[in-house]
Amino acid sequence: MDDLLRQALRDGEQLGMRYALQIPQVAASGWTGSRSGRRAGSSIDFQDYREYQPGDDLRFIDWGIYARTDRLTVKLFREEVTPHLDLILDGSRSMNLAQTAKASAVAQLAALLATSAVNAQCTQAVWLSGEGFQRLPNDTLPPSAWDKLELASLRTPEQSYEILPPKFRRLGVRVLVSDLLWPGDPLHLLRRLRDGAASLFVIQLLAREDVTPPEHGNLRVVDSETGAESEIYIDSGIAKQYAENLAQLQQSWSDACRQCGAHMTTVIAEDLADSLGELEALQLLMPA
Amino acid sequence: MIPFLTYPLAMIALAAVPALAAIYLLRNQFRRRPVSSLVLWRFQVQSKAGGAKVNRLQLPLLFFLEMLVLVLLVVAASGPQWKLPQSARPLIVVLDDSISLRAQRDGVSAQARAKEFLEKLFRQQPPPSTRLILAGAEPRSLGPTAKSWREVNELLPQWKCWSSATALDAAITLASEIGRQQANILVLTDRKPASEANSNPRLEWHAFGLPLDNVAFVNASRTAFGDQDRCLLEVANFSGSAHSTPLLVQTSSNAVQRSLLQLGAHESQRIVFNIPATAPALHATLGTDALAEDNDIQLLPQFRHRVRVQVALTNESLAALVTRTLDATGLRAALSSNPELVINETGAVAGSNSWSLCWTGADATNAYTGPFIVDTSHPAAAGINLAGVIWSAATTTNAPSEVPVILAGNIPLLSVREDTLGRMHLTANLNPELSTLQNTPDWPILFWNILNWRIAEMPGLKESNARLGAEVFLKCAGAPATVTLPDGTKNSFPKTGGELALETPLPGIYSVALGTTTNQFAVNLLAADESDLSADASGHWGKWSESTEHRLVESSVVWIFGLLALGLLTTHLYLVATGKGGG
Repeated sequence: MDDLLRQALRDGEQLGMRYALQIPQVAASGWTGSRSGRRAGSSIDFQDYREYQPGDDLRFIDWGIYARTDRLTVKLFREEVTPHLDLILDGSRSMNLAQTAKASAVAQLAALLATSAVNAQCTQAVWLSGEGFQRLPNDTLPPSAWDKLELASLRTPEQSYEILPPKFRRLGVRVLVSDLLWPGDPLHLLRRLRDGAASLFVIQLLAREDVTPPEHGNLRVVDSETGAESEIYIDSGIAKQYAENLAQLQQSWSDACRQCGAHMTTVIAEDLADSLGELEALQLLMPA
Repeated sequence: MIPFLTYPLAMIALAAVPALAAIYLLRNQFRRRPVSSLVLWRFQVQSKAGGAKVNRLQLPLLFFLEMLVLVLLVVAASGPQWKLPQSARPLIVVLDDSISLRAQRDGVSAQARAKEFLEKLFRQQPPPSTRLILAGAEPRSLGPTAKSWREVNELLPQWKCWSSATALDAAITLASEIGRQQANILVLTDRKPASEANSNPRLEWHAFGLPLDNVAFVNASRTAFGDQDRCLLEVANFSGSAHSTPLLVQTSSNAVQRSLLQLGAHESQRIVFNIPATAPALHATLGTDALAEDNDIQLLPQFRHRVRVQVALTNESLAALVTRTLDATGLRAALSSNPELVINETGAVAGSNSWSLCWTGADATNAYTGPFIVDTSHPAAAGINLAGVIWSAATTTNAPSEVPVILAGNIPLLSVREDTLGRMHLTANLNPELSTLQNTPDWPILFWNILNWRIAEMPGLKESNARLGAEVFLKCAGAPATVTLPDGTKNSFPKTGGELALETPLPGIYSVALGTTTNQFAVNLLAADESDLSADASGHWGKWSESTEHRLVESSVVWIFGLLALGLLTTHLYLVATGKGGG
């Protein structure tokens, strides 16, 4: 892992100290932990009484009430849960586009989210796409201790998912950080990421070069992942169409997110520090 | 048919022809720019090889070819159009997917007649867009919206007519919701509508069935009956006159029964017989008639699951009592190794697959006469009553990880704990010497429940025969499963610890490979409603309202010019490749 990314992780960690991850109500279910959940559970905090129904745990019968009234009544307790963050990073080469701040922004954003998760008493897992999805070494430690954050894969996250899907924890908060620049129906991947999650956030991270229509003239565009080249003459029509293609791609992702109940936003790598308000508006972060 | 140009001003682009010559004089210089992905550059991307070809086009003959292509493209860009009559409304076709559409007369099925009608409709009155809805047991949309007959025809192979039920009403409701009262709905089936008075002006109902005589299997089962298997076959005659049909029942190549069934009008007959449990698949066949699919059934031997139980109780009288009870359940297998249930006084288990029943309270002197609290929703306690039972048990409380199943007040009498490997550990707090439980029906019920629960948690199939369309449950226990359908299609399921519900879309033998073991189950078409062809009818009911049904739609002929340009470009490519371009 190069020094630039290591420094970006440190910067993101610093930035993340100011924030805490917002935990949706649905996520307050699942593993026993340190936060109060929304359902009845097995903590020692008494919540309510209810008449016994077949299938209830017989351990929670209140024998005192049974002795007095001859009716079976069970005690309900508030459950305790640990919310969880699954951070899914696109490890393809396009996230490390030369002469842009994309790679640094990925690291910074990941570190920020992980630190804010710790501030919200969440556990976390960081998944990097490549030849399948792999957890980053030391991902449960502070971001500055993470290792092997290498953005050099030739595969899209969708292809990586087919090879080896990540093992998400149920009812966790999932955040996908990617430039989303690959063809195909986004719904397929989003549905699988959304399955079993409390909520899914999609952060499209683009370089300014990705969103700015190119200048006029002859251009040989080189795909940073496949190395494929194409020669094209850029005029105002092509530039406009490029912008339309980008808008169309974003719209298709936005529609797919809406269909499966995910939230999406776009962040420009060079303006990351100014874009954190959007993550607050998305109800992903809140001031710590 | 009036030809006209949509964008006549596009002809100005012909001025580009002289510019073509100038372009030849220019040599392109390209700046290199790495981008995240070419996905945003798809509109006019030219491959590197394509660019090289452009460089070779500096030849007189090729230049004229290109000029011609340019002219054709300019004409295409001007949008030449013809006006053709076309249906104004989108069409939603509801396809009855039930098996009865496979019934044939003179070798032609109702499904084939319906397809022919649909093709004819598209030729005469092509709709602007078409959506297909399959009315099987549940309505299902077939793919995206189709724009032409070719696209519709590509979707039609999914209309297989293998469903044992048809949800036409639900499919029409779905079509109405999708069409929002704007689309025409066409129903293709083999039966007339329930009510001939059609109140929906957007619905046309076409039936292509014929009332045909049919004899069919309507019930078939093969159940364990001691050392043998008891088979039941029910054959029904759905016609209004008496029929005779040959019945051949065979296992493997050995004919078990060959007979001629005489069936009166609308009569059904049941045939019950026993075969050895070791006999392989039983195959029964009826004589040929209108619907061939319901004349064949296959029945596989019932699974006889048993539990390997190790009784390791040190109390000899209790061990003898437990052994006798286990043998009486008929669910205990001879123990060779790897017990699946260990009964002892310590709770120790033998192996990763073993459950335990731990006997405590042997020295207890407290006797409880009730009231007992029984969690009857628990598989170990189903059907247990305990009325009048005296239960002697030690005064204790259950550990936090143990879930009580039977209680006397707050004293757990039977409790269950699940360990990290998913194994169950039962604890029975009972002193039989001071109890009457073993003298009541609850005693064998309790043991039968425990063994049956253990069997239910074993990996594999639970049933060997199912009806078409029913779900067959498969316990996976962490092993990957591969299901091979009768048509050879393989469905693979990754490792999962739960229970899979397998769909049965086709009749025949299904093969299930779970880990290293392979089992089979048979699926048979047993659907009396579908085999009864006497109510099938032909005709059409309802008509789409006439207003705005047709209009002259501007039909683009850009494709003609596009094809011509493509032909010229192919010639161009050939000339370039062979070096015959001149110059």
